Amino acid sequence: MRPNRITDVTTHSRRTMLTGLGVISPIGSGPAAFWDALLAGTPGVHTITRFDPFALPSKMAGEVRDFSAKALIEKSYRRTLNAMARTIEFGVIGCQFAMQDAGLARRTVPPERIGIEFASVMGATELDDLGPASVKALKPDASGPDMAAWGSAGLPEVPPLWMLKYLPNMPACHASVIYDIQGPSNTQIPGDTAGAVALGEAVRILRRGAADVMIVGGSEAKVHPLSLSRFNLFSQFSRRNHDPEGAIRPFDRARDGTAPGEGAAAFILETLDHALTRKAKIYGEVLAVASGVDRGLTGPGLARVIRNALASAGIAATDVDHVNAHGLGTTKGDAFEARGIAEVFGKSVPVFAPLSRFGNLGAGSSLIELACSVLALHHGKLPATLNHTQPDPDCPVMVHTGQPQTVTRPCAVKLSYTELGQCAAVVIRKWTE
Amino acid sequence: MRRRVVITGMGVVTPLGSTVAELFTSQIEGRTAVGPITRFDARTFPTTFASEVKDFDLGKFIRNAERYHNCGLNTQFALAAARHALEDANLLDAGKGDRSRMGVYLGSGEGSDEFPALVRGLAHASTPGSQAVNAGEFVNVMLKWMNGPRESEQEMFTPAGHLAGVFALEGPNQACQTACAASSQAIGEALDIIRVGEADVMVAGGSHSMIHPLGVTGFNRLTALSQRNESPCTASRPFDRERDGFVIGEGAGLVVLEELEHAKKRGATIYAELTGYGTTADAYRMTDPHPQGRGAIRCMNDALRDASLKPTDIGYINAHGTSTQANDSTETAAIKGVFGEYAKSVPVSSSKSMLGHLIAAAGVVELVISVVALRRGIVPPTINYGTPDPECDLDYVPNVAREVRFRHVLSNSFGFGGQNIALIASRFSE
Repeated sequence: MRPNRITDVTTHSRRTMLTGLGVISPIGSGPAAFWDALLAGTPGVHTITRFDPFALPSKMAGEVRDFSAKALIEKSYRRTLNAMARTIEFGVIGCQFAMQDAGLARRTVPPERIGIEFASVMGATELDDLGPASVKALKPDASGPDMAAWGSAGLPEVPPLWMLKYLPNMPACHASVIYDIQGPSNTQIPGDTAGAVALGEAVRILRRGAADVMIVGGSEAKVHPLSLSRFNLFSQFSRRNHDPEGAIRPFDRARDGTAPGEGAAAFILETLDHALTRKAKIYGEVLAVASGVDRGLTGPGLARVIRNALASAGIAATDVDHVNAHGLGTTKGDAFEARGIAEVFGKSVPVFAPLSRFGNLGAGSSLIELACSVLALHHGKLPATLNHTQPDPDCPVMVHTGQPQTVTRPCAVKLSYTELGQCAAVVIRKWTE
Repeated sequence: MRRRVVITGMGVVTPLGSTVAELFTSQIEGRTAVGPITRFDARTFPTTFASEVKDFDLGKFIRNAERYHNCGLNTQFALAAARHALEDANLLDAGKGDRSRMGVYLGSGEGSDEFPALVRGLAHASTPGSQAVNAGEFVNVMLKWMNGPRESEQEMFTPAGHLAGVFALEGPNQACQTACAASSQAIGEALDIIRVGEADVMVAGGSHSMIHPLGVTGFNRLTALSQRNESPCTASRPFDRERDGFVIGEGAGLVVLEELEHAKKRGATIYAELTGYGTTADAYRMTDPHPQGRGAIRCMNDALRDASLKPTDIGYINAHGTSTQANDSTETAAIKGVFGEYAKSVPVSSSKSMLGHLIAAAGVVELVISVVALRRGIVPPTINYGTPDPECDLDYVPNVAREVRFRHVLSNSFGFGGQNIALIASRFSE
């Protein structure tokens, strides 16, 4: 097999270490609260409260409650909140949490030597931003907009900074201004794989020497009336409205769909030299990230991506403590993912699917799910998968359920994919002095 | 030694033609496609014109185009440009080469909103006499008024996902959105993916259309667009003192980036070598560039260092040149900051004077123009240049194309959010 990477990462002088973690999630914010909730098995998917979901076929989501960006944002930056939709607020505060956790402040790192890779989406418009304009532009027969009325009377009602509230690259932009980050800045958008490929790019950036420290984050606020109207029209969402906590059932025979979530996760990734020099707390090491496409979601493509990641990391399947699956709880999605995992690992490696606890965070999903494995390796304990009770012959994997178990091997593999077969695999390793 | 990366295929969909030859001919003839907006009735908007791709038909580019009729123009333009690029590179046949070593990196924009349904739903659910919209009732009607299959094709991962699916590009798959810098950034990072060995071929570039009601509304509210409604053809006037904003355009471009030995082994035509990439952030403001061009200067310097070149090696600069007050003066200052005295003699021009601003797709189309200019020894002009601006005092190749022989071209792209990208393409030699 062809080497996937020219350099041997284990001896590379610029090993890439995770030294800070920021989490905003339906089960708790900050690494400590998040970890406690993971161990306790706290469920985060409930009936939607952010708006009245009466019309939605699926009325459940993982919501972040009691979140106040105003209370949390850097004071000097508070006035810019009027240009941030909820996705962006989550992202910016997530970055702040990660920087604080890593013990980094503005200009602790020289501005040219720190960069940011963020996973995001184009936000859905806040309804009230376009409501008044829409009222003025509606045709007399209420069938739709009169374009002449929109242009003359509606458009002036739209807030001047409207567009900036929703642009995907704004979390990275705001974080760069707050922390004076002048190194590489990019925003990844391929849905549920965006966070993983953002991490992969950050690894390449550190290895090529274009920065010493990177913020790597992702956020999305899917619990939004327009977004959920759209998703309910084409995504497989669970109809188990009577039992929200049990709605998402990864790899379970009774699974009937997923549920959306919201929040953010952000890491600080830095070179080993840099981390050691500043005596940073190290959570773990990113060994490799691979991406590729499984056209038609059949399984062999995902397996190839996993093998590429393992080869690139220079580890064997026997070094892997657990596979952290996307585990959406959809009929086809879980079967596909299980086939890919089984082709590489058989049933020998436990599969952990954390998403049933907080829902699918979309652009925030791969990194918040990765955070679960980073914390598991760090603390030496693997939390269990919630809501997996009946194995499904279509999902030939061993799902870790029940009580938390002791971590026995040094590495973990995190998987992500989109409905069009874009796949990503991240390999991390426990850090030992 | 570092793996070298060359360009072996190019494809475009632009307001000035959907072949590279047509596009370049229009550029050297100084033609423009700017005219009244036809996609929707924009007659009462502050800006009534744009640079549109006319008569686009995906069926002319791919088989079973009907399958993609629900997709937004972002996906459709990307599929069309990719088909030409892969055909040009002789890699269209899915049986050619190891497809798991060929990937996609797209700088792509959003899909289309269902604007009529959105306005209807918002108005319906608005509470009379208040500014508030009843979200529950809004959901209730939108579930009926939106089209599910169509909505399912508007996700941010859709364009890059379909490119991989249609053309069997099963390697690394990424998509970025850094506003007007996106496709250049996609190309720069795809270059690195090949250099480090994660792929041998990357189909990289971008695709975008913001010529829809909310796109024009958003830019108009930011007062970023030219409002020269009485003379659309002369509205895009980069570096001219009378400039008053950019002209919104649309389109796509994709280049086939290939590891040099891989390209040689299969006898590919090599258009140019991609030798330099620089990327920085301004860390200044949401929309305004840093007034001294701090980030722009460093990204051009980084690209030169990456290519192991001196400033005087660059024979032509394809500027970002948007025709906004802030960009053009700042970019000029930044070029002077990098090139010193030589800034006065190196030709600098803006493709946007003719094409308008293709937003996420701007950078790749301008790189394609730069590569053809490099090969043909002709530099396209900056048209609509009439009144010099004391803050813009470089040689902008005013109004008429010029024959210039050169070996290296630098192309700039800057985006909202303070994103700065510079790419350098060089004539290929062993």
